[in-house]
Order: sequence, then C-alpha cells, then structure tokens
Amino acid sequence: MAEPAAKTAFAEEALTHLDTLYRGALRLTRDPDQAQDLVQEAYLRALRYQHSYQPGTNMKAWLFAIMRNLFWDRFKGSHKEDVSLDDVGDFVLFEKLRDEGAKPEADVLDKIAATEVVAAVDKLPPLHREVVLLVDVEGFSYKDAAETLGVPIGTVMSRLHRARQQLQKSLYDYAVESGIVHSGGMEQVPQP
Amino acid sequence: MRCEECAGKLDRFVDRELTNTEALEVQLHLEGCPECMEHYEFQEHLKLVVKNSCDCDTAPKAFREKLRQILR
Repeated sequence: MAEPAAKTAFAEEALTHLDTLYRGALRLTRDPDQAQDLVQEAYLRALRYQHSYQPGTNMKAWLFAIMRNLFWDRFKGSHKEDVSLDDVGDFVLFEKLRDEGAKPEADVLDKIAATEVVAAVDKLPPLHREVVLLVDVEGFSYKDAAETLGVPIGTVMSRLHRARQQLQKSLYDYAVESGIVHSGGMEQVPQP
Repeated sequence: MRCEECAGKLDRFVDRELTNTEALEVQLHLEGCPECMEHYEFQEHLKLVVKNSCDCDTAPKAFREKLRQILR
C-alpha cells in the first residue's frame, strides 16, 4: 500500500486528467450521471492499482484505458457489441460540397452548431467513437491510442478512417436537412 | 506526388502521423496544388470543429470536489 503522501500526490496528478476522462465517459455513456459513476469507479480502480502505473509514462492514456475498459465491462456487458457502421462508401465531404458548388466549403462547417457535431459523434458505434475521442478530441497519437485501446495501430487507423467518413456523412445529411447546403443544386452557401 | 496519393495521405498528414520525409512530400505537393491545399485546409478545419465541439464539456466543479474527497 502506498504511503499516504504518495497516494495523495498520485491522486492529485490523476485528477489533472479529470476533464479528459469525464469527456470520454460522457461521450461513451451519453449520460452525465452514468459518466460520473464511470469516472468515479475508474479513479477508485486507478488508486487501487496505482502500483501498476509506471511513473513517467502516459498517465492520461493509462487512466483512459481503465475508464474505457470499465465502460465495456460494466455498461455494455463483456461482449464488445460493436454495431457495424453504415456502409457510406468512400464519402469525402469536401468533394461532395465542392461538387455541389458550396464554396468556400469550410463555411458549411462553421454553420453547423456544435451540438449537431456532438450528435454526429454520438451516433458512431462506441468502438469507432472512442477512436475519434482519443485522436481528434484529446490529441492522442495513433500509437498512444492503440496502446490505450489494446489494438494494433492499423486497427486505430482503419476505425478512424471509417468513423470520419460516417461523421462526414452525418454532417452532410444534417447540412442538407437544415438547408445549409442544397443537395444536387449549385446554390451558394447562404452568407450570414 | 499525384493528387490521389496526396489525398490518401491527408488524414495522416493532418494527424501529424507521417514520417518527416512523407510530410515534406505532401507539403511540397500542397504548395503547388491549390485544390489539394483547399482539401487539406478543410480536413484540418473539420478536425478542429470536432475537437472544439466535444471539448467544451468539462467535469462539474462539485463532482471534482467529491472525487478529491473520495480519493484522499
């Protein structure tokens, strides 16, 4: 058992990563109460297994791994029930917008509310969602993401690729439904 | 480098996951190809939009305090 001072120092350092863990838990569970339960459980487990953390290594990745493993064990059952992604083919939002004459293409992104972007992330199956969280939101390298998730780097890359295509398709569908772009037409992006 | 090859490496370029040599090749292509440059800037912007949309969620203050008490 660690000395009280060492335990406190460890807990304090671990708590500097709380926002990352909470965001991750919130996106995985999509429920603030469940997210708090999950994060609390993850911290208690981290403290219990403190001896297995090697100082100087990536604590954020280590904590995230504990949290997401708990999520899969507790909230989703022991089976990694990944719902496969819709087959959106080779969907490239930039090309789609360019073909429809929405210029500049990046303006379309600025017209989509943050809540809609979050909704598009939430729609991804969890195994794909967590890769987007790690790489795009938390800035993990592919290598750190692979270690956190316990999969080869190639798996991170393929999940990320498919997740991004699905995400771009969702954002495109939303942009069409909300009239930000006009499917099939050559209309300009409405200016504010 | 051809545009197709550049497009194939764009994700890893945006994620800073290419080797220095590969990244330089992509960079040189982008500087000479306005269309690929636009595509690159779009992907960079998309990544930022996803990040900014998701990372405004932070742990509630009361929850942080509660955890601090529990972990003592």
